[in-house]
Amino acid sequence: MARTIALPLARSAPNATLIVWGGVTLLGSLALPWSRAGRDLFVFAPGSTGLELLRGAPLVVAVAVTAALAILIGTVPRPLWERGRLAVGLGVIGAVLTLGYLYGAGQPSGPAAVAALFGFLAILGGGMAWSGMLRTDAFLATSILWIAAFVLLFILYPLWTVLQASVLVKGALTLDAVRSTLKSPAFFLLNNPGTPRNETLVAAAAGITAAAAGGLFRLSRRPVTIGGVVRWTAGVGVLGWVLAVLYLAFGALRNSVLLAIVVGIAATALGFLFALLAERSRLRTKQLLGPFSILPIITPPFVLGLALIYMFGRSGFVTKEIVAFGPLGAAASGFLATGVFFGPLGVAVAQILAYAPIAYLVLQGVVQAMDAAMEEAAETLGASRWHVLRTVIWPLARPGIANAFLLVAIESLADFGNPIIVGGGVPFLATEVFFAIIGRFNPSEAAVYGVVLLIMTLSIFLVQRYWIGRRFYVTITGKPSAARPRPLPPALDYAASAIFLGWVLLILALYGSVFVGSVTRLWGFDYTLTLQHIRALSPTGWQVFWTSTKLSAYAAVPSMLLGFLIAYLVTRVDFPGRNGLEFGSMLSFAVPGTVMGIGYILAFNQGALLLTGTELILILAFVFRNMPVGIRSGVAAIHQIDRSLEEASTMLRANSPTTLRRIVMPLMVPALLSGLVFAFVRAMTAISQVIFLITPAHNLATTQILSYVEYGSLGRGAALASLLTVFMIAVVLALYAINRRLDTRAAARALMP
Amino acid sequence: MDPADTQAVAAGRTPDPGPRPPAVPVRLERITKRFGSFVAVEDLTLTIPAGQLVTLLGPSGCGKTTTLRMVAGLEHPTAGRVWLGDEDVTPLPASNRSVTMVFQSYALFPHLSVFENIAYGLRIARLRDADIRAQVADVLTLVGLPQVEARYPAQLSGGQQQRVALARALVMKPKVLLFDEPLSNLDAKLRKRVRAEIRELQRRLGITSIYVTHDQAEALALSDVVVVMNQGRVEQVGSPTDLYRRPATRFVADFIGEANLLPGHHEGGMVRVGSYTFAYTQEHAPSGDVAVMARPETIELHTDGDGLSGRIRTAFFMGTVTEYLVETPVGEVIVAEPLMPRGPLRSGEDVRLTFRPSGLYLLPAAT
Repeated sequence: MARTIALPLARSAPNATLIVWGGVTLLGSLALPWSRAGRDLFVFAPGSTGLELLRGAPLVVAVAVTAALAILIGTVPRPLWERGRLAVGLGVIGAVLTLGYLYGAGQPSGPAAVAALFGFLAILGGGMAWSGMLRTDAFLATSILWIAAFVLLFILYPLWTVLQASVLVKGALTLDAVRSTLKSPAFFLLNNPGTPRNETLVAAAAGITAAAAGGLFRLSRRPVTIGGVVRWTAGVGVLGWVLAVLYLAFGALRNSVLLAIVVGIAATALGFLFALLAERSRLRTKQLLGPFSILPIITPPFVLGLALIYMFGRSGFVTKEIVAFGPLGAAASGFLATGVFFGPLGVAVAQILAYAPIAYLVLQGVVQAMDAAMEEAAETLGASRWHVLRTVIWPLARPGIANAFLLVAIESLADFGNPIIVGGGVPFLATEVFFAIIGRFNPSEAAVYGVVLLIMTLSIFLVQRYWIGRRFYVTITGKPSAARPRPLPPALDYAASAIFLGWVLLILALYGSVFVGSVTRLWGFDYTLTLQHIRALSPTGWQVFWTSTKLSAYAAVPSMLLGFLIAYLVTRVDFPGRNGLEFGSMLSFAVPGTVMGIGYILAFNQGALLLTGTELILILAFVFRNMPVGIRSGVAAIHQIDRSLEEASTMLRANSPTTLRRIVMPLMVPALLSGLVFAFVRAMTAISQVIFLITPAHNLATTQILSYVEYGSLGRGAALASLLTVFMIAVVLALYAINRRLDTRAAARALMP
Repeated sequence: MDPADTQAVAAGRTPDPGPRPPAVPVRLERITKRFGSFVAVEDLTLTIPAGQLVTLLGPSGCGKTTTLRMVAGLEHPTAGRVWLGDEDVTPLPASNRSVTMVFQSYALFPHLSVFENIAYGLRIARLRDADIRAQVADVLTLVGLPQVEARYPAQLSGGQQQRVALARALVMKPKVLLFDEPLSNLDAKLRKRVRAEIRELQRRLGITSIYVTHDQAEALALSDVVVVMNQGRVEQVGSPTDLYRRPATRFVADFIGEANLLPGHHEGGMVRVGSYTFAYTQEHAPSGDVAVMARPETIELHTDGDGLSGRIRTAFFMGTVTEYLVETPVGEVIVAEPLMPRGPLRSGEDVRLTFRPSGLYLLPAAT
């Protein structure tokens, strides 16, 4: 007792951080191999360790010397800020030298490159903290730089290569690929020479009619103003023309846009109805909303498409059995037997079923956050419940409804699984990316489709995030009010509950058909129970299931850790470029998986970054695709922690890693666990971003289901899909058992794209 | 009330603070802090004498907490320097200054026991286990909370949590101890008691302390020196009695206690307020048009005789005093009168107001 507690001030004592990272860099660059012999991760090129390269590669010598200098300035007593400036210089020089060598050598990089690059970034980060360039400490500064490097390399660079590939053909800058793709009838065609009518004229006529109708309608309303009439004429005219074009035209663009609009409207309407039900219903049916909203989110969404074939396909269960219901049934059966569900209609229904929960989750939060006291106030002023719904709830929910619509539209545009399973060969943007590469071997065309898709989803994402995001009247985190929510008008309550029950029955029937289909000999013809499909999973099915589980588990840990670190940095640390880092790391949520997928094959197919064909690239794709799940869970959890806890820890002389390890992490254990499980679930059910990256040696469960279905082994597809569904449900239930909290909605919201 | 809270007052009598580092003064030298275009603190220069308790007092948004956080190292000044003794700590992060803080929310780590909360900083300083145990036990006795080591913060009352937070800050033997509105989460009665304990402990240990509050009664009761801040600037620095009796500005007069500020005229030792004139002596009193500050409890009410004439508008019986709102030709005047033999006056009555010279202070009219 009694001694003053010594301060670790140590301004001129040796700097451990510099010495350690200088040492890692020096040893790594000398002792480890700089390049690999080929694709394989652990087969290195002979004679490529730094020591062996010293004679022939002056850049490697320079790298080693720079690292040695870092150790030197760590040992020579200098003031902290001076060390900081020297470290910044050495870090930048070292990183540039390393990149220069890698680019020049053009060989697949080995572990020495990784050690050198991250070592120099750590030296740079420490330097920026000590010299005061970043007002934070060495640990957090290094984290910022590393994460920025990851985001650049694994999110922005692949997207850049897609843009590049769309205007570069065989190394020459040209717009030919863009022009030929955009002019191709598979992309968009208005006036089809194959049809007797002239669609351009019909659309123009529709536009003019609509314009006239709009103008006349406005003229009938007082007060008549010239501006008003012009706006209505132009607005309704353009709307009419656009709708007519969407209705009449052909091609992937028209199909995808029309699909997104239809699915967006239908899913949002259902979602809003369910949200009202969840928050304002007096009936017990609403208790089913939680489990039934999470189911389509934790299973690969295309399982519903598969189920639709089972129920409503040419030889579907309903198609065949409905004949028994008299002449009307026969007519319905005849209609279904034409294969209507095998095409845009099937895709739309599958997507509505899969994405209505997303709209529901967004809108449930919005309705929940509405202060019921406002509705009480309206009722005391004499409003009926219908009137309250129309004048209070609806206007308050409108921004949320727009938000839900846009989210669903992004999902619908980006969806790959449903169009490829039930699309029946009709072109959609997301599938054309795939067919351009796999079928037509034309990466430029794929890139152009990718860019179009990217522009569309990104602009919707930006509108959703920055325009709608600001128009919310209610905040989701608001304090619950003491007022009791007012029940819905009974007629609406019953009608909505009936619709919801219908939806539940349909979902049950669809999932049920997949389960039953996996133990049925030949669906539609021979319903004898059999285990043949499950047995036939051996060996391929089991093997891909194991690969999926293994790679998803590997990817879950870094997804969660990176996500939480980013969440901490963007919520708690102030540094230049913070918004950019947040945007960059959330970007992979808004980018369609297929676009990210072709970005990865284009970016990591040659030179220093050769990674295609390895398990690592699949893991990386999962990590950076699912990192936003971790970020979102992390931000939510960090907002629950009083900031003064971290400040108290700092004032008791803890540095930031200690504060993170001893204060922040222990308080976030449930959130960390959920983040881990959600990242795992999303990786297990992913398809679009990995479809280009799999190889026969590293096939995944989702892609295997797809190829079973493509080759007509529906039974085996159903068996594997059932296995995956059961496993995902078990994983999520296990999470609840550990976290001792059953909140399906929170889970679904975290998993939501 | 919790038994441990009552016991604390008695337990404060077992002082074994042990030798501590000598107290150092804190000097803020031309500190400015901007957040974007908002100026939180502007060109502030202030010395906190060694071993004293100085309160930063002001309305919310006046820059007092920002100033405290700059001493802590949790914020960094846009310009200016922070000195602890003769060491310039401006570039040092919070973890490298010998400064600890008691937070408004206490900021006790909810997942650690009381013992581990207090031992947290000692463990980071890599003390031996035996030393840690001894120091934690000592400091808990010092704040009057033995026997709670194994409990978790959620199992303690607000007053106990507050003491644990104080113990956690004290155990580090800081050169400077900071308090960020530490009593605002306690109920009124407990607040008074803990306030007295903090004062007693600080005097005994002689730690230079900076205390932030917006409660003027707390500031007056606790401090050696009070710094009144407003809009990022210092309005006045002085002892509590100084501030109460001789406020430098209207703002201080208004913020500290209750004050009537009446328009008056001062010439040659005579002050005129409305039609009432009286003799007055004050060193360095401004002359010409002045604002006459009169504390409500220094104004006497008479039913007749000489004085400023007025009529009682409302009377509030408040227990020890009756507060009157009196309409006069120079504006409304608040008067606080102790119970009088004649009993309380009624609204509507005509009265004469006289001022006790000890409760008056003349300010220049335009401050």
